[in-house]
Amino acid sequence: MKLTGRVVYRDIEGGVWVLEGDDGRTYQLAGGDRKIKKDGQRIEIEGDVARDVMTAFMVGPVLNVASYRFI
Amino acid sequence: MPMKRLNLAVLALAVMAAACASRSDSSEREASAEDSSRRELAQVAAGGIVVDFKDGTTKAEYDAWESEWGVDLEFNSTEGERSGVTIAQGVGDVDAVLARIRQNPAVQFAEPLMMFAVPPGEEALSGLAAPLDEVNKDGYTPNDPEYPRQWNLRMINMPSAWQESRGKGVVVAVLDTGIAYEDYDDFKQVVDLKGAKFKKGYDFVNDDEHANDDHGHGTHVAGTIAQATNNGQGVAGVAFEATLMPVKVLNHFGSGTSADIADAIRFAADNGAKVINMSLGGGGHSKVMADAVEYARKKGVTVVAAAGNAGRARVEYPAAYPGSVAVAAVGPGGTRAPYSSYGKELDIAAPGGDKRQGDAGGILQNTIDPRDVSRSVYAAYQGTSMATPHVAAVAALLYAEGASGPDEVEKALFAGAKRVGGQAWTEEYGHGLLDAQASLAALGGGASRWPSMWWALALLALVLLTMRGRERPGYFNILFRPSFFIPLVLATVGVFFARSWFGGASGVAGDVVDAAYLPIPDWQRIIFGRGKMANPLFYSSLIPLLLSFLAIKYQGLRPAIGGLALGFAGFLSYAAWSKAPALAWMPFTFLALPWLVVNTFICLIIARAMLKRETV
Repeated sequence: MKLTGRVVYRDIEGGVWVLEGDDGRTYQLAGGDRKIKKDGQRIEIEGDVARDVMTAFMVGPVLNVASYRFI
Repeated sequence: MPMKRLNLAVLALAVMAAACASRSDSSEREASAEDSSRRELAQVAAGGIVVDFKDGTTKAEYDAWESEWGVDLEFNSTEGERSGVTIAQGVGDVDAVLARIRQNPAVQFAEPLMMFAVPPGEEALSGLAAPLDEVNKDGYTPNDPEYPRQWNLRMINMPSAWQESRGKGVVVAVLDTGIAYEDYDDFKQVVDLKGAKFKKGYDFVNDDEHANDDHGHGTHVAGTIAQATNNGQGVAGVAFEATLMPVKVLNHFGSGTSADIADAIRFAADNGAKVINMSLGGGGHSKVMADAVEYARKKGVTVVAAAGNAGRARVEYPAAYPGSVAVAAVGPGGTRAPYSSYGKELDIAAPGGDKRQGDAGGILQNTIDPRDVSRSVYAAYQGTSMATPHVAAVAALLYAEGASGPDEVEKALFAGAKRVGGQAWTEEYGHGLLDAQASLAALGGGASRWPSMWWALALLALVLLTMRGRERPGYFNILFRPSFFIPLVLATVGVFFARSWFGGASGVAGDVVDAAYLPIPDWQRIIFGRGKMANPLFYSSLIPLLLSFLAIKYQGLRPAIGGLALGFAGFLSYAAWSKAPALAWMPFTFLALPWLVVNTFICLIIARAMLKRETV
């Protein structure tokens, strides 16, 4: 699936990178390369939402990034 | 005849009024104690400032800036060279100086120095075998140098609670990213877990027996539970004599699968854990995990989990499963942290930190540097993950003081929680804010179920006293008639020993044991599930009333129903006196209390009618 939004660093549970999606939901980012970590950057991400994953951050579903581009 | 009824009514009302009065007295006393503790928690020290430089700033560097600022800064402790925290005393115009200091780019924050005082606590218990060290009138004060920065521990009344219990011997399983508990491979035990007790755990991510932390989250959580305390090093933990079981279910990115976690819950329950801490969540409802939580509960384990950090009105799984205690987070001000999720499954709130004002508002524990697993750091985190171990650790204290299982632990946790806004339960805070000392008091030395029985016996005496000689069934022999006494016991304390004798039975037999274990009014929990609120029809005179109609036809039932009605009267009056539970459809304490009082009264009338000997 394709999602657009903003990459944001949240200082919670020791720190986590999320996508604040234009769909109003927050996704915990996983995968991709480290250059995706640009706080505040608008982005378009192609990836899958993992359904049965639990995390220490609990900010929203985990989005496994297959590819992305900054917009 | 009418005259006598009036007497009875007046007497019963007098007793109830006295009970209510003494109840409100004690709650007022508690309230005033809380107020004074808040007031004295933090005071500005005259002329003192604290300046936190960026990590790695040297003394030579800030010495050079001092003349410009007109202050004499020194590192606050030996940790200073790493943490960059400095203080200065005798500063003239604090505000002006701070404004100048904040201009410097190497300064992270500069603020007036606060003096933290331990809130005034209870006197040390006279029954202790030997006086505890470091106990003074303010409670137990550990000598850990960073303890003054742990506002969270004072918020939940640890100084007083530590006088009673430190959780000795209770095993708490931490299902997380692991714990930095041993020197193994490139892992190193963090410095402030040295001396803490550990039990063999498991790493479900890498399938081996070394559940070391490669992330930082799990060690922080474990620190809140059982950081080495009063060791002159670092920070303190809540249940520092408890035993930690490291169980790794989250990988180095902090994620894990429901399958691993469900396995881990069963592993912990099978290997002696009394409390399971799950500072994790996400995904949807999973039958496998729900079953695992229920399995642990049946084994007498209390499962505590985080409500989630999405800041919305939905509690995450596993916290949302009926068998687990769901924990929300509050900041230093005691209000819900903005990130904390909440909702109808929420049970309780605990300090989880709020760093909008800086690190001082976070929860400070010892953990690993996420960039170097062998390096120990003190870090201020925030999250419902940080709130959860406070509750898990207090659960450990309750087990150490004799709580028999999750029902008793939860009851004490919720009864002791500080009510928020006078409400017995709210979506944002559950039953209220965790209070270790009050929860230990609510446990009542493991005999919390007995008072309702004493109430019933006192009310029996009252009923007998209001009868005229000829109507009395005989003063004491009634107590020894099983048909009277057994229903009374069932309605007040239940067959409390059933679980320890027959516990573990499965299927129908297990359900029977579970039912008999509870007092009759609490059987509603079996029918309606363990909801947050009791069903008011069960917490009323309805059952004795319906049964008393049978006695019109079958006279032989009268003593039994009399005993049952008295048992109910005792149960309800104690419920009213201790802490009125939140009744469904009656969320406000001011409605629940009159309900219980009126129904106690009705039960007494029934009991009296049943016990009265027919005068010929």
